[in-house]
Amino acid sequence: MGAFMAQQHFPDMAIPLATRKVNLVGSRIRELRKGHRLTQMELSERIGVAQSDLSRMEQGEYKVGLDTLFKLLQVFDLKIGEFFGESETAGPEDRELVTEYRGLSDEARQEVRDFVRFKKMQQQARPEDSTEEKE
Amino acid sequence: MTERRKHLEFLRKTARDAIWAGDYERALSLYEDGLALARSWKDRDLEDLFTCNRATTLLEMDRQDFDLSGLKEILLRSPTSPNGVLAAYASAHAHEVRGELARATFYAQTALQKSRDLRLDEWTAASMNLLANLELRESRFESAKALFEEALGRLEERGDGLSREGAVVSDNLGYCHIAMDRVEVGMPYVERAISLLDSLGARQAMDYPCLDLCFAMLKLDRLDQGESWGIRALGLGNEFGREDVVKNSHYLLAEIYATMGRADRADEHYEALANYYPDFPALKNYLHQISLTGMLNLRA
Repeated sequence: MGAFMAQQHFPDMAIPLATRKVNLVGSRIRELRKGHRLTQMELSERIGVAQSDLSRMEQGEYKVGLDTLFKLLQVFDLKIGEFFGESETAGPEDRELVTEYRGLSDEARQEVRDFVRFKKMQQQARPEDSTEEKE
Repeated sequence: MTERRKHLEFLRKTARDAIWAGDYERALSLYEDGLALARSWKDRDLEDLFTCNRATTLLEMDRQDFDLSGLKEILLRSPTSPNGVLAAYASAHAHEVRGELARATFYAQTALQKSRDLRLDEWTAASMNLLANLELRESRFESAKALFEEALGRLEERGDGLSREGAVVSDNLGYCHIAMDRVEVGMPYVERAISLLDSLGARQAMDYPCLDLCFAMLKLDRLDQGESWGIRALGLGNEFGREDVVKNSHYLLAEIYATMGRADRADEHYEALANYYPDFPALKNYLHQISLTGMLNLRA
């Protein structure tokens, strides 16, 4: 019974913390190309595919190998936030945190990452707590 | 058949078996012995045959140190003989490896036409398989599927459905379905291929089927099974020096581990993959955030 109760209290402990990712799809490639003011001809030349194939790619009909996909990421030189479609950039507080983090030893960095993971799990397990904290 | 031809046919059969077992060096050595003998006998027909076989073997070894124009001379010299078919086939393969897909398609169609004219069913099926692979590289999945189906049908009519060649075509057909998100339809073809290739001792040809099943399992969210097939594909890719298989295996395994939440394992494979792209230092960071599986063609 005790073990059962423990599981009830920590439901997320049994669930692996999966990485949430954005899927690269044709329509996103089109948006990014336009955002970078590239024509289909220009982008197709840079990633080494025919223009007609890039057109099919943007429509989700043309699939490519890893080499071409990586060239695409490299051409766009995305900031991850940009890929997610977020417009906000890191504020001074965030930047300071990153600078401090970079000054830590490898071991200390690992501890910080573990702590962040723990906080995320805690937040997912009891979302009401995080709301209370904010208030 | 003359004694000379019998001897060289034996050499060819032994070399073919060596290729299927993954022993390319031995196959190359046998074909070069055959070529030297044919030259010493001044038998042009046999010399052409061994020249084509040698070129095909080098291509399997990711080497291009042979004379492509020599293959085209054979094609022009022997337009209505099996050597012409073989020369067209080898030329198509060479252009495919160089990424010259339009030329590759031209020569594959030539090989197909000539093999049909000469009623060489085995080569007709092989040419169809090659043409279908070129269609696959261009993401023309429906067209590729139709060609693979016809190739497999022809092999089955000949009683070769359970051969190594039949297994390869079956795997390719299965991959077509998997790529088109008809995973449950495609998987039995790939499973059949693995089982056949295993029983026939053709380990070197099992890398893509293992990779295909890994991809299928990832699509179905059957991650444990995907991991197992991915590890097998990676092992075979490393063993037989197939860089494309190794890179794709690392990517799929990383995606599987990331989905499982095993970040450290995912990171190992992203890192291994990123090592192939030293001029793109941010690659690993992107891969942690962006999934490319929906746009990925394992045969491109």
